[in-house]
Amino acid sequence: MTRNLLASIVLTAVVMPAFAHHSETAEFNPDKLVKLTGTLVRVEWLNPHVWFYVDVKDDKGNVTTWGFSNAPPGSLMRRGITKDVLKIGSVVNVEGARARDGSNNASSRSVTFADGRNVFTATEAPK
Amino acid sequence: MNRVFWNVLGAALACAAMATAAAQETPRMPDGKPDFSGIYTQPATVNATGPRGNLIFNADKMAPLKPGAEGLLYEARNGDPRHDEPRAMCLPAGFPDGMLYILPIQIVQNPQTLVIIPELQRAARIIPTDGRPHRDGLEPTYYGDSVGRWEGDTLVIDSVNFKRWILDDYHYTDPTKTRWHSDALNTTERLKRDGDKLLYQITIDDPKIFTKPFSQDFVLTLRRDWEQLGLLEYVCEENNRCAGGHCRAPDAK
Repeated sequence: MTRNLLASIVLTAVVMPAFAHHSETAEFNPDKLVKLTGTLVRVEWLNPHVWFYVDVKDDKGNVTTWGFSNAPPGSLMRRGITKDVLKIGSVVNVEGARARDGSNNASSRSVTFADGRNVFTATEAPK
Repeated sequence: MNRVFWNVLGAALACAAMATAAAQETPRMPDGKPDFSGIYTQPATVNATGPRGNLIFNADKMAPLKPGAEGLLYEARNGDPRHDEPRAMCLPAGFPDGMLYILPIQIVQNPQTLVIIPELQRAARIIPTDGRPHRDGLEPTYYGDSVGRWEGDTLVIDSVNFKRWILDDYHYTDPTKTRWHSDALNTTERLKRDGDKLLYQITIDDPKIFTKPFSQDFVLTLRRDWEQLGLLEYVCEENNRCAGGHCRAPDAK
Protein backbone atom coordinates (compact mmCIF):
# COMPACT_ATOMS: atom_id res chain seq x y z
CA MET A 1 0.00 0.00 0.00
CA THR A 2 1.37 3.34 0.89
CA ARG A 3 5.12 3.49 0.62
CA ASN A 4 5.62 7.15 1.18
CA LEU A 5 9.13 8.18 1.76
CA LEU A 6 9.73 9.38 5.25
CA ALA A 7 13.42 9.53 4.63
CA SER A 8 15.27 11.91 6.78
CA ILE A 9 18.67 11.90 8.27
CA VAL A 10 18.17 12.72 11.85
CA LEU A 11 20.40 13.48 14.74
CA THR A 12 18.88 11.76 17.71
CA ALA A 13 19.96 10.19 20.93
CA VAL A 14 22.31 7.27 20.39
CA VAL A 15 20.71 3.91 20.99
CA MET A 16 22.60 0.69 21.54
CA PRO A 17 24.23 -0.44 18.32
CA ALA A 18 23.25 -3.67 16.70
CA PHE A 19 25.31 -6.67 17.56
CA ALA A 20 28.37 -6.74 15.34
CA HIS A 21 31.56 -8.69 14.66
CA HIS A 22 33.30 -5.35 14.38
CA SER A 23 33.24 -2.04 16.16
CA GLU A 24 30.17 -0.58 14.54
CA THR A 25 31.39 2.99 14.62
CA ALA A 26 34.21 2.15 12.20
CA GLU A 27 31.69 1.38 9.48
CA PHE A 28 28.56 3.27 10.46
CA ASN A 29 28.17 6.76 11.82
CA PRO A 30 26.16 6.88 15.06
CA ASP A 31 25.70 10.62 14.55
CA LYS A 32 23.96 10.12 11.21
CA LEU A 33 20.83 8.22 11.93
CA VAL A 34 18.45 7.46 9.09
CA LYS A 35 14.75 6.87 9.56
CA LEU A 36 13.04 5.29 6.58
CA THR A 37 9.85 3.55 5.63
CA GLY A 38 9.63 1.26 2.66
CA THR A 39 8.97 -2.18 1.28
CA LEU A 40 11.14 -5.16 2.05
CA VAL A 41 12.50 -6.47 -1.24
CA ARG A 42 15.35 -8.81 -0.39
CA VAL A 43 16.87 -10.65 2.56
CA GLU A 44 20.38 -12.09 2.93
CA TRP A 45 20.24 -14.44 5.92
CA LEU A 46 24.01 -14.83 5.94
CA ASN A 47 27.06 -14.33 8.11
CA PRO A 48 28.59 -12.29 9.45
CA HIS A 49 25.38 -10.24 9.50
CA VAL A 50 21.87 -10.54 8.20
CA TRP A 51 21.22 -7.84 5.59
CA PHE A 52 17.84 -6.81 4.30
CA TYR A 53 16.92 -4.35 1.59
CA VAL A 54 14.11 -1.87 1.54
CA ASP A 55 12.73 0.07 -1.43
CA VAL A 56 11.97 3.61 -0.35
CA LYS A 57 9.85 5.86 -2.57
CA ASP A 58 10.17 9.63 -2.42
CA ASP A 59 7.44 12.21 -3.03
CA LYS A 60 8.15 12.18 -6.78
CA GLY A 61 7.85 8.43 -6.97
CA ASN A 62 11.57 7.75 -7.30
CA VAL A 63 12.58 4.52 -5.63
CA THR A 64 15.86 4.09 -3.78
CA THR A 65 17.01 0.76 -2.39
CA TRP A 66 18.57 0.87 1.06
CA GLY A 67 20.53 -1.95 2.67
CA PHE A 68 20.42 -2.60 6.42
CA SER A 69 22.59 -4.86 8.50
CA ASN A 70 21.49 -6.67 11.61
CA ALA A 71 22.75 -9.43 13.90
CA PRO A 72 24.34 -12.72 12.75
CA PRO A 73 21.76 -15.38 11.81
CA GLY A 74 22.78 -17.64 14.72
CA SER A 75 22.19 -14.94 17.29
CA LEU A 76 18.72 -14.23 15.93
CA MET A 77 17.79 -17.91 15.63
CA ARG A 78 18.71 -18.60 19.25
CA ARG A 79 16.22 -15.90 20.18
CA GLY A 80 13.58 -17.74 18.16
CA ILE A 81 13.75 -15.31 15.25
CA THR A 82 13.90 -16.90 11.80
CA LYS A 83 14.12 -15.61 8.26
CA ASP A 84 10.32 -15.91 8.10
CA VAL A 85 9.88 -12.65 10.04
CA LEU A 86 11.31 -10.75 7.09
CA LYS A 87 8.56 -11.27 4.56
CA ILE A 88 9.23 -9.84 1.14
CA GLY A 89 6.64 -7.15 0.42
CA SER A 90 6.18 -6.13 4.05
CA VAL A 91 6.23 -2.45 4.82
CA VAL A 92 8.83 -1.73 7.48
CA ASN A 93 10.05 1.28 9.38
CA VAL A 94 13.78 1.21 9.96
CA GLU A 95 16.05 3.40 12.02
CA GLY A 96 19.76 2.96 11.85
CA ALA A 97 23.22 4.48 11.64
CA ARG A 98 24.22 5.37 8.08
CA ALA A 99 27.31 3.94 6.42
CA ARG A 100 30.34 6.16 6.77
CA ASP A 101 30.96 6.10 3.02
CA GLY A 102 27.62 7.88 2.52
CA SER A 103 26.12 5.01 0.56
CA ASN A 104 22.53 3.92 1.05
CA ASN A 105 23.43 1.41 3.71
CA ALA A 106 22.92 1.49 7.45
CA SER A 107 23.17 -0.61 10.55
CA SER A 108 19.59 -1.17 11.66
CA ARG A 109 18.70 -0.45 15.25
CA SER A 110 14.93 -0.34 15.24
CA VAL A 111 12.86 -2.31 12.75
CA THR A 112 9.08 -2.27 13.01
CA PHE A 113 6.19 -3.30 10.85
CA ALA A 114 3.58 -0.79 9.76
CA ASP A 115 1.47 -1.74 12.79
CA GLY A 116 4.33 -0.86 15.12
CA ARG A 117 5.36 -4.40 16.10
CA ASN A 118 9.09 -4.95 16.41
CA VAL A 119 10.47 -7.21 13.70
CA PHE A 120 13.34 -8.28 15.88
CA THR A 121 11.76 -8.53 19.26
CA ALA A 122 14.89 -7.86 21.24
CA THR A 123 18.36 -6.57 20.70
CA GLU A 124 21.49 -8.26 21.91
CA ALA A 125 23.88 -5.41 21.81
CA PRO A 126 27.38 -5.57 23.17
CA LYS A 127 27.36 -4.56 26.79
CA MET B 1 -2.32 -36.60 60.88
CA ASN B 2 0.35 -34.26 62.00
CA ARG B 3 2.92 -37.02 61.82
CA VAL B 4 1.78 -37.97 58.31
CA PHE B 5 2.14 -34.37 57.23
CA TRP B 6 5.68 -34.12 58.55
CA ASN B 7 6.62 -37.49 57.05
CA VAL B 8 5.32 -36.42 53.65
CA LEU B 9 7.04 -33.07 53.92
CA GLY B 10 10.30 -34.74 54.94
CA ALA B 11 10.15 -37.19 52.06
CA ALA B 12 9.39 -34.38 49.64
CA LEU B 13 12.33 -32.34 50.88
CA ALA B 14 14.62 -35.37 50.67
CA CYS B 15 13.51 -36.00 47.08
CA ALA B 16 14.06 -32.36 46.20
CA ALA B 17 17.52 -32.44 47.74
CA MET B 18 18.38 -35.62 45.83
CA ALA B 19 17.07 -34.13 42.60
CA THR B 20 19.14 -31.00 43.16
CA ALA B 21 22.23 -33.06 43.90
CA ALA B 22 21.62 -35.14 40.78
CA ALA B 23 21.14 -32.01 38.69
CA GLN B 24 24.38 -30.54 40.02
CA GLU B 25 26.39 -33.72 39.80
CA THR B 26 29.25 -33.39 37.38
CA PRO B 27 28.73 -35.60 34.34
CA ARG B 28 31.74 -37.78 33.69
CA MET B 29 33.49 -39.49 30.84
CA PRO B 30 33.97 -43.30 31.00
CA ASP B 31 37.46 -42.67 32.37
CA GLY B 32 36.01 -40.69 35.28
CA LYS B 33 37.14 -37.28 34.06
CA PRO B 34 34.54 -34.48 34.04
CA ASP B 35 32.61 -34.29 30.78
CA PHE B 36 32.54 -30.74 29.41
CA SER B 37 30.66 -31.67 26.23
CA GLY B 38 27.91 -29.34 25.18
CA ILE B 39 26.99 -25.94 23.82
CA TYR B 40 27.64 -22.99 26.08
CA THR B 41 26.88 -19.30 26.13
CA GLN B 42 29.75 -16.96 25.55
CA PRO B 43 31.99 -16.36 28.56
CA ALA B 44 30.89 -13.58 30.85
CA THR B 45 33.18 -11.94 33.32
CA VAL B 46 32.58 -12.67 36.95
CA ASN B 47 32.16 -9.34 38.75
CA ALA B 48 32.66 -7.35 35.58
CA THR B 49 33.95 -3.84 35.91
CA GLY B 50 34.21 -1.11 33.34
CA PRO B 51 32.40 -0.67 30.04
CA ARG B 52 31.59 -3.88 28.19
CA GLY B 53 33.47 -5.56 31.00
CA ASN B 54 31.84 -8.90 30.47
CA LEU B 55 33.78 -9.75 27.33
CA ILE B 56 37.10 -8.01 27.63
CA PHE B 57 39.97 -7.95 30.06
CA ASN B 58 39.37 -5.31 32.66
CA ALA B 59 42.24 -2.90 32.96
CA ASP B 60 41.86 -2.75 36.73
CA LYS B 61 42.54 -6.48 36.92
CA MET B 62 45.61 -6.38 34.75
CA ALA B 63 49.11 -6.58 36.12
CA PRO B 64 51.22 -3.41 35.99
CA LEU B 65 52.86 -2.70 32.64
CA LYS B 66 56.56 -2.88 32.11
CA PRO B 67 58.18 0.50 31.48
CA GLY B 68 57.69 1.45 27.85
CA ALA B 69 55.21 -1.37 27.17
CA GLU B 70 52.15 0.88 26.82
CA GLY B 71 52.69 1.01 23.06
CA LEU B 72 52.87 -2.77 22.85
CA LEU B 73 49.54 -3.19 24.63
CA TYR B 74 47.70 -0.35 22.95
CA GLU B 75 48.05 0.52 19.29
CA ALA B 76 46.35 3.58 17.83
CA ARG B 77 44.14 3.02 14.82
CA ASN B 78 46.05 3.81 11.66
CA GLY B 79 43.19 3.74 9.15
CA ASP B 80 44.00 0.30 7.77
CA PRO B 81 41.04 -1.89 8.76
CA ARG B 82 43.24 -4.99 8.60
CA HIS B 83 45.19 -3.47 11.48
CA ASP B 84 42.44 -1.57 13.24
CA GLU B 85 39.94 -4.41 13.35
CA PRO B 86 41.25 -7.56 11.72
CA ARG B 87 38.12 -9.55 12.53
CA ALA B 88 35.93 -7.03 10.70
CA MET B 89 37.90 -7.94 7.56
CA CYS B 90 37.30 -11.63 8.29
CA LEU B 91 40.87 -12.11 9.42
CA PRO B 92 41.25 -14.55 12.32
CA ALA B 93 39.88 -13.56 15.69
CA GLY B 94 42.74 -15.44 17.33
CA PHE B 95 42.97 -16.39 20.97
CA PRO B 96 41.91 -15.24 23.49
CA ASP B 97 39.84 -12.71 21.52
CA GLY B 98 37.95 -15.41 19.60
CA MET B 99 36.85 -17.08 22.84
CA LEU B 100 35.43 -13.87 24.30
CA TYR B 101 32.63 -13.21 21.86
CA ILE B 102 28.87 -13.06 21.94
CA LEU B 103 28.24 -16.26 20.00
CA PRO B 104 28.19 -19.68 21.66
CA ILE B 105 30.97 -22.21 21.88
CA GLN B 106 30.74 -25.98 21.66
CA ILE B 107 33.02 -28.38 23.51
CA VAL B 108 33.58 -31.87 22.14
CA GLN B 109 35.60 -34.27 24.22
CA ASN B 110 37.10 -37.73 24.18
CA PRO B 111 39.65 -39.22 26.58
CA GLN B 112 42.60 -37.93 24.55
CA THR B 113 41.36 -34.62 23.22
CA LEU B 114 39.15 -31.68 24.05
CA VAL B 115 37.96 -29.51 21.18
CA ILE B 116 36.65 -25.99 21.76
CA ILE B 117 34.73 -24.62 18.80
CA PRO B 118 33.52 -21.02 18.93
CA GLU B 119 30.70 -20.37 16.47
CA LEU B 120 32.56 -17.19 15.55
CA GLN B 121 34.64 -18.19 12.54
CA ARG B 122 34.30 -21.87 13.58
CA ALA B 123 37.96 -21.86 14.54
CA ALA B 124 38.33 -25.13 16.44
CA ARG B 125 41.02 -25.37 19.10
CA ILE B 126 42.09 -29.02 19.26
CA ILE B 127 43.67 -29.58 22.65
CA PRO B 128 45.42 -32.87 23.47
CA THR B 129 44.75 -33.97 27.06
CA ASP B 130 46.91 -37.09 27.02
CA GLY B 131 49.97 -35.51 28.57
CA ARG B 132 51.95 -34.82 25.43
CA PRO B 133 54.22 -31.75 25.39
CA HIS B 134 53.89 -28.71 23.14
CA ARG B 135 54.93 -29.22 19.55
CA ASP B 136 58.33 -27.91 18.57
CA GLY B 137 59.42 -26.09 15.46
CA LEU B 138 56.13 -24.50 14.47
CA GLU B 139 55.75 -20.94 13.29
CA PRO B 140 53.75 -18.74 15.71
CA THR B 141 50.00 -18.87 15.10
CA TYR B 142 46.86 -16.89 15.85
CA TYR B 143 45.53 -19.52 18.27
CA GLY B 144 48.85 -20.77 19.65
CA ASP B 145 49.73 -24.33 20.51
CA SER B 146 47.67 -25.78 23.35
CA VAL B 147 48.05 -28.83 25.58
CA GLY B 148 45.80 -29.83 28.46
CA ARG B 149 46.30 -31.68 31.69
CA TRP B 150 43.99 -32.63 34.53
CA GLU B 151 44.37 -31.32 38.04
CA GLY B 152 41.62 -33.25 39.79
CA ASP B 153 38.37 -32.14 38.15
CA THR B 154 39.95 -29.06 36.62
CA LEU B 155 41.27 -29.10 33.08
CA VAL B 156 44.30 -26.86 32.75
CA ILE B 157 45.17 -25.73 29.22
CA ASP B 158 48.56 -24.22 28.55
CA SER B 159 49.04 -22.32 25.28
CA VAL B 160 52.19 -20.87 23.74
CA ASN B 161 53.66 -19.90 20.37
CA PHE B 162 51.31 -17.06 19.50
CA LYS B 163 51.64 -14.56 16.71
CA ARG B 164 51.29 -10.96 17.93
CA TRP B 165 47.63 -10.17 17.50
CA ILE B 166 44.54 -8.47 18.92
CA LEU B 167 44.09 -9.38 22.61
CA ASP B 168 40.38 -8.65 22.99
CA ASP B 169 37.49 -6.43 21.89
CA TYR B 170 38.75 -3.40 23.79
CA HIS B 171 38.14 -1.31 20.65
CA TYR B 172 34.39 -1.54 21.30
CA THR B 173 34.97 0.72 24.28
CA ASP B 174 37.55 3.06 22.79
CA PRO B 175 37.31 3.85 19.07
CA THR B 176 40.80 5.33 18.99
CA LYS B 177 42.91 2.27 19.72
CA THR B 178 43.10 -1.48 19.91
CA ARG B 179 44.61 -3.79 22.50
CA TRP B 180 47.22 -6.40 21.57
CA HIS B 181 49.26 -9.20 23.06
CA SER B 182 52.86 -9.88 22.15
CA ASP B 183 54.47 -12.99 20.68
CA ALA B 184 55.63 -13.90 24.19
CA LEU B 185 52.07 -14.59 25.35
CA ASN B 186 51.54 -17.72 27.43
CA THR B 187 47.97 -18.40 28.54
CA THR B 188 46.76 -20.81 31.17
CA GLU B 189 43.07 -21.66 31.16
CA ARG B 190 41.38 -23.50 34.00
CA LEU B 191 38.02 -25.12 33.25
CA LYS B 192 35.79 -26.62 35.89
CA ARG B 193 32.14 -27.64 35.80
CA ASP B 194 29.75 -26.49 38.48
CA GLY B 195 26.43 -28.02 37.49
CA ASP B 196 25.47 -26.34 34.24
CA LYS B 197 28.03 -23.61 34.76
CA LEU B 198 31.50 -23.84 33.32
CA LEU B 199 33.89 -21.88 35.46
CA TYR B 200 36.59 -20.50 33.24
CA GLN B 201 39.69 -18.71 34.40
CA ILE B 202 42.34 -17.45 32.05
CA THR B 203 45.78 -16.29 33.13
CA ILE B 204 47.67 -13.96 30.85
CA ASP B 205 51.43 -14.14 31.11
CA ASP B 206 52.93 -11.76 28.59
CA PRO B 207 56.39 -10.84 29.89
CA LYS B 208 57.08 -8.34 27.11
CA ILE B 209 54.12 -6.25 28.32
CA PHE B 210 53.27 -7.05 31.94
CA THR B 211 55.42 -7.23 35.06
CA LYS B 212 53.68 -10.43 36.15
CA PRO B 213 50.84 -12.74 35.12
CA PHE B 214 47.25 -11.81 35.87
CA SER B 215 44.00 -13.75 35.78
CA GLN B 216 40.39 -13.03 35.01
CA ASP B 217 37.42 -15.25 35.82
CA PHE B 218 34.55 -15.92 33.45
CA VAL B 219 31.54 -18.18 33.59
CA LEU B 220 29.80 -19.95 30.72
CA THR B 221 26.37 -21.54 30.93
CA LEU B 222 25.48 -24.87 29.37
CA ARG B 223 22.47 -24.43 27.07
CA ARG B 224 20.76 -27.79 26.54
CA ASP B 225 18.00 -25.92 24.69
CA TRP B 226 20.52 -24.97 22.00
CA GLU B 227 21.48 -28.60 21.31
CA GLN B 228 18.81 -29.11 18.69
CA LEU B 229 19.83 -26.08 16.64
CA GLY B 230 23.47 -26.89 17.26
CA LEU B 231 26.39 -24.77 16.28
CA LEU B 232 25.84 -23.02 12.96
CA GLU B 233 28.18 -22.47 10.05
CA TYR B 234 29.96 -19.12 10.09
CA VAL B 235 31.63 -18.18 6.84
CA CYS B 236 32.62 -14.59 7.48
CA GLU B 237 33.54 -13.89 3.86
CA GLU B 238 30.07 -14.84 2.64
CA ASN B 239 28.40 -11.48 3.14
CA ASN B 240 30.85 -9.15 4.85
CA ARG B 241 29.38 -5.95 3.46
CA CYS B 242 30.63 -2.51 4.54
CA ALA B 243 33.87 -4.04 5.83
CA GLY B 244 36.17 -1.31 7.04
CA GLY B 245 33.56 1.31 6.21
CA HIS B 246 33.44 0.62 2.47
CA CYS B 247 30.05 -0.60 1.38
CA ARG B 248 29.20 -2.29 -1.85
CA ALA B 249 26.20 -0.68 -3.50
CA PRO B 250 23.05 -2.61 -2.74
CA ASP B 251 22.20 -4.61 -5.79
CA ALA B 252 18.62 -5.42 -4.90
CA LYS B 253 16.36 -4.07 -7.60
